[in-house]
This record gives sequence, structure tokens and C-alpha cells, in this order.
Amino acid sequence: MTSSTTDAPSKDVDPAPGSTTTSGGGPLAVLKRAFGMEAASVLVATVALILVIGAIHPDFLDPRQLRDVLQQSVYVAVLAAGVAFLLAMREIDLSVGAMFGLTLICSAMLMRDGWNPWIAVLAGIVLGALLGLANAVIVQVFKIPAIVATLATLSMFRGLSLALSNGQQVVGLPLDHAFFEIFGGRVLGIPVSVIVLVVLAVVLTFVLRTTPFGYRVRSIGSNPDAAAFSGISVAKVRIQALMLMGGLAGLAGMLGLAYFGSGDPNIGSGFELLAIAAAVIGGTALRGGSATVVGAMLGAILLSVVTSGLVYFDIPVNWSSFATGAVILIAVGIDSLLRRRREARASAAGL
Amino acid sequence: MFALEAQHVRKTYGGVTALADAGLRVRPGSVHALLGENGAGKSTLVKIITGAVRPDAGVLRLEGTDVAFSDTADAARHGVAVVSQELSLFPDLDVLSNMFPMREPTRGPFVNRTRMAELARPILDQLGLRVSLRDKVGELSLAQRQLLEVGKALVTDPRVLILDEPTSALDSKTAAVLLDILRVLRDRNVAVVFVSHILEEVMALCDEVTVLRDGRTVLDAAPLAGLTIPKIVESMLGERHAQLAEVRPEATVDLTGAIAAPSGSGVLRVEGVSVEDRLTDVSVTAAPGEVVGLAGVAGAGHQTVLELAAGLRQPTAGAVLLPDGEPAPKGLRAAIARGVALVTGDRRRLGLMLDKPIWDNAGQVRSVALARDGLLVRKRTLRARAGEHASRVNLRTFSLEKSAGLLSGGNQQKVVLMKWLQTHPSVLLLDDPTRGVDIGAKAEMHGLVRSVAEAGAVVLMCSTDLDELATLCDRVYVLHHGRVCAELSGETLRQHEILAAMNTGTVPAA
Repeated sequence: MTSSTTDAPSKDVDPAPGSTTTSGGGPLAVLKRAFGMEAASVLVATVALILVIGAIHPDFLDPRQLRDVLQQSVYVAVLAAGVAFLLAMREIDLSVGAMFGLTLICSAMLMRDGWNPWIAVLAGIVLGALLGLANAVIVQVFKIPAIVATLATLSMFRGLSLALSNGQQVVGLPLDHAFFEIFGGRVLGIPVSVIVLVVLAVVLTFVLRTTPFGYRVRSIGSNPDAAAFSGISVAKVRIQALMLMGGLAGLAGMLGLAYFGSGDPNIGSGFELLAIAAAVIGGTALRGGSATVVGAMLGAILLSVVTSGLVYFDIPVNWSSFATGAVILIAVGIDSLLRRRREARASAAGL
Repeated sequence: MFALEAQHVRKTYGGVTALADAGLRVRPGSVHALLGENGAGKSTLVKIITGAVRPDAGVLRLEGTDVAFSDTADAARHGVAVVSQELSLFPDLDVLSNMFPMREPTRGPFVNRTRMAELARPILDQLGLRVSLRDKVGELSLAQRQLLEVGKALVTDPRVLILDEPTSALDSKTAAVLLDILRVLRDRNVAVVFVSHILEEVMALCDEVTVLRDGRTVLDAAPLAGLTIPKIVESMLGERHAQLAEVRPEATVDLTGAIAAPSGSGVLRVEGVSVEDRLTDVSVTAAPGEVVGLAGVAGAGHQTVLELAAGLRQPTAGAVLLPDGEPAPKGLRAAIARGVALVTGDRRRLGLMLDKPIWDNAGQVRSVALARDGLLVRKRTLRARAGEHASRVNLRTFSLEKSAGLLSGGNQQKVVLMKWLQTHPSVLLLDDPTRGVDIGAKAEMHGLVRSVAEAGAVVLMCSTDLDELATLCDRVYVLHHGRVCAELSGETLRQHEILAAMNTGTVPAA
């Protein structure tokens, strides 16, 4: 048995999804990479679902309706992008919905108390990063998995939202301030928060694919022992990733505040599971080592399409949760089966 | 009559002959040592006896009856039990549950713990294992767990018990414990096959010795009485001189520029270093251009020396100085930043990201961990640099996109070397770098290691492959119980001397 048999010449076939053979670095190639490869199936699924719903209920294809669907998906989409980073390094954060809620409440209260909204917004994002840091410190000091640590902080952060706001809506915000005008409004008919989401998709994809941090995240997820053995500090990268997650939760909170114009202490409950589902639907594997930011965001949009679309069907209100779950299962199931077939074909081709 | 008899066993794996003509005859109530160098075929023979692997040819007899096992469970039913190198206990279960994995006596649908206890207690007493049956295995000492492994094997009432390197996980205090176990086994008339590297143990414990060399039995059930360690070493190594030429390193390649010019003296110094329970007053030096080997039986401390140089362990006394003249830092990361490279033989677990392409693996240290390319990591740069290094180390693949997990062992190890060469190291530490690679790839790897040294790096290598140490190294330090017992070079640097010194702590007079 010589090495030449195992390394027999193989045609340059497209390798498994997630890695690409495109050698060019032009903007077209980047676009192709961003949308063509890594998130193709979830994009197809989302479009197909919209068309199916639209075929039965043409109202759904109304631009305003679609705009609302997008608008509603933004918060989970931002959270899902952060979750994708964590999943890529075999970590998870269950407190993202609570961080979203707490930063939103805190900023709302600061504005109500007369802070300049811009400073209050900045404070909200910084608070998010600090909450992420708190998660990381707990993981580091007590040597417990992030899933356990954030299960506890999920309750704590949510509890803080309720305690600080006395369980009341935070109202009386300066809604005529530029912050609410800009980030709660639209440009050329497109919600500004959606534009922020697109910018974020580009920035985070860039971070994931071209910075040492992004490579470290994926290295650790691929083989934590080999990463540590190569001189990557797993602890440091974990702190950075959890802080990034917190900062993104803060950013999502600020976008939510701009749109809603008030603070509900229960806002964002359950977002953690939606964000994880969105990341997984988008094609980020739970086993770690790879991630797609665009896919995670599209996954969130798919979830939003499902919940909004179901309204058009005469589904009894008590069955809507069940129906949502069923649609998610079908979408993920089909995607997984297609992915398997593609991988089987790739390995049959000698890769 | 023999309890176990294997004759003329042959086994080839895809053209590589693991066993050419191996035999083993074990008497009931005796302890039989099965010895041989790395790759001599010991583990293949053990696998055949335990039913894990089917032989291509040969006869296997248990108490005179021909047998052919379909799998390990079949062998176990016939009374062949194994205590393997890796402990296979469940730490969260109690002692009693661990003794009956998958074959608990039951009463109806329930596990019959009373009956289990009745069966287990006498065996544990006989082994002198004084623990409660309810103790969690995770709370037992390593030695107690080893005993429990034996107890677990004895519950099946085996006729043949194979102890596969049973002392590799244990400290030096266990010789007495082992002696006790073997006494028990002799009393029970079990045929014991004792597989070991450690000849001192063999001399102390065994009755008869079988030695394999290159897949053949060269010493067949020789009584221990007529044997000495030098004689055993002689038969393990045989007349290898003719073959040595074949595995001479392949032509070296030019790696100038791949190695950092050393600042300071350029010499790696370990001066009078002690590490609690591991090393006592060890001094080792390695100069640029030299390949220095470290040898020893498992736990002798040779690997601790590598760990010291890599910053993974701190000395309790003495000093470790890297080539820049400064003490070795605390922690692997700091050591890497100072120019240390650590190539491990455990490439699948510690060396590679198996699901990632070659170029991604190759850039993991330089561009990712050390961020030497700055704030941006460009795929194009990684690919180009990987391509350049791939041709330097003669990596045989047609695409750098190939996942590392799909490469052959030799090519995988080249990728590991590539990723460290990218950092321009001044110290290359190798831990069993050619474990499990074929002979051609091994020779190539040797050529590369030699090239790294010639380019001006300090090379320090541990290996379980004595041939590798003898042919590749300029000097070899042999450690024995945490002390340097010999420094071999030139004429005295031969497998024979290394093996003898590893096992006895002294170099035999020429």
C-alpha cells in the first residue's frame, strides 16, 4: 500500500460545501461565495416558500407585506449571525434573547431619564458586550460549559429586565429624535434596520473569513486539541466570541428600540431558540468548524416567512405553534437530505 | 498440551506483510512474554488470537482443538480474554457494574446484583483488591483500576489471558502488584501472554519468552532460565545491519530560509533540570545542525524533556534555555512565538484539522495563531504559501483543496511539518514523528528532518522507533527512571545499545 493509491489524481471537483475552489477575489466572486455557495439551499427554500404562499394568497407578495416580514426578521437575524460564530467553535449562548431584551430596556430607561439617545444607544451596545464578557468570565472561572452558564444568565438577564422596569413598559421616549427617525424609518422604501443587517452580513462574513479571529474560531471548532497545540488560546477566542455575541445582541436591541419606540421587559423571550434554529437552518453545523453568517440571517428570514405566512392560512390560533414547528422541520429535513446527497456525490468523485 | 497454540500465522495488509510466519505456544499456568520491536507484528498476532483480525493462513488451537474466531466476542466465549493497553472501564459506574459489562446475570428483566457480588467478591479478594463493590471506579487509583481490569477478565473464567502492555499506564510501584496478579493467574492455571516493551519486567515476571522479528517467530517459547537481556535484545534486533542502508534518509532538500537565523548562541540547553516525579538532574544540549534523539521506555522521562522545551512544563530545579539564550517561557503559545515548533506523531488528534483543506491546515500556526500576516488572512496568500511548502516537502497531492483527513499518514505528517515550517522555527521538537507511516514515507520524513537541521535549526526528537533514532540522530540521550543514563553517538549509536540502555540503565561493554 503506497501513498500513491490513496492520493490518486483527482479531478478538481467542487469540494464539500463551506469551502470553495473559486480562486478569483473579485466582487463578483465574493458575491457568488456569499450567496451562491454557502447559503444557496436556504435561499432557494425561502424563495420557494414565499412563492408557494404567494400562489395561494397573492396578498402575501405585496411589497409592503414582504417588507414587514424582513423587518420582523432583523433581530433574530442579527442574533443568529452571532450564534453562527459560537456554533463554529462548538459553543452556544442561550442568553442571547435575554441580552437583547436587557440592553433594549436599559437604553430605553436611559433615554426616558433624559440621556442623549445616541449615547444611550452606544451604552446599550457596550452593555451587551459586557454581558457577553460576564458569560465568558463565568465559563472561565467556574469551568462550566457555556450552555450551562448561559442557561443561568438567561434567567438572570431576563430577571434584571423585569426588575429594573418593575415589569412595566418603558414609555415616554423622545420619539422625534434623529435616532428613532433614522433607525426606525426607511430609505427608498427599505427599512434602515434591514440595511444595517446587510452591512452587518458583509462585515461579519469578512471577519469570519479573512481575519485571524475568524480562522481561530473555525480552527477550534474543527479540532480544539489541534488548535491549542498550534498555539491558539481557546480561552481568549471564547471570550472574544462571547463578547461579540453580546455586542450583537446589544445592536439588535437598539434596532428593536428604534422600531418599537418603547421597551417591553419581556421582549425577545424565546429568541435564543429561534436564533439557534436560524443558524442551523442556514447551514452552520452543530459539530463546529464552519459557519455562514449569510445563511444564518437567511435562516432567520425563513422563520419569519413561516410565521407571517401562516397568518394567511386558516390555522386555528392554538395550532400555529405546531404548524411553525412542522414547517421548520420540513425545511431543515429537506435541506439536510440534499446536503447529504451532495456530500456523497463529492466523496464518490474522489474527494 | 498447550493452552494456546498458533502456528505459521500469516497476515498481510494490502501488500505489507505484518506476519510472515509467526507462532506462539503457551502452557497453562505459565506467564509467557511476547516481545518484539515496533512493527515486529506483536499487536497483529494479539489481534488474531483475540479474534479481532482474521489471519490469511495458519492454525490456531485452544487446548489442542482447532479454532477460528469470527470476532472478539467469539474468542471471549472460547475463553480468550484481553486486558488491553487502554483502560476500558466506566468511571461513573461502580466496581460491580464494571465487572460485568454486557453479561450481567439477570433475574427476569432485572440485573441480579446479589449473584454478581457472589461471583465478583472471591476474584477481587484473590487479587487483593480491597474496595467496596459499590465504590465508583472513577474514585479508584490507577493501580486499583488495573487490578479491576484483570478481575473483569477473570470473571469470564478465561483459559488464556493476554496482558497487552499492562504497565504502560502505571508507575514503578506496580511491579509488586503485577507479581501478585500473575501468582493468582498461575494458581488458576491460566495461560498468560504478557506483551511488553520493558525487558526488566519480563525478566522479573515471565516463565517463557517468544520473540517476533519482522513478522516471524525468531525465539520460540524459550525458557527464561537460559536468557539474559542482551540475548533477548540480540534476537529482537537480529542482523539488521544489511537493512539499515535501505532506510537511510532520502536525499535532503534545501530548506534554507525556512529556518530562522538564531540570535544568541543558537544552542538549546537543558541544564541540571529536575521535575518532580519525572526527571532528576537531567542535562541535554542540542546545537543547530544536529539531530538529537531522546530515548527511553514509557515514563522514563524522555518526553518530559520535550515538554520542558515547549513550555508545557516548568522545571523545579535547573534551567531550560532556548537558542536565543533566554529561559524557556511558561506555556506553549509563548514558546511557539519564540520559535519552537512541536510536531506530534498523534497527527489526527493533535496535529490536523481533518475536515479542512491542506492550505487551511498549513496556515494554522503562522497566519492564524500567531497572526504574523497582520489583521487579514488572505486565502490566496495561504494557498500560495502552502503550495510553495508543499513542493518543498514533496507533498504528493494534486489539489491543496483536499481535506487533510483524506491524505495518507505520510502526507498528513508532511502537512503538519509544513504548518510549522511556515513559522520559521529555530527549534524543531518531534514526538514520534513517523508513527504509523509506511517505510517510504518514513525515509522521506527523515530526509526532511535532516534538511531542517542542515538549514540551521535545533532538532530534538523522541521516538519509539529505535531504528529511527539510530539512523537519523547524531546523538541520542537515553533516559532511565528520569535520569540520563547514556549519551550515544558515532560507533556506539546503534539500536542494540539504545535498547539495552533503555532497559537496564547502563550501556553494555562493547
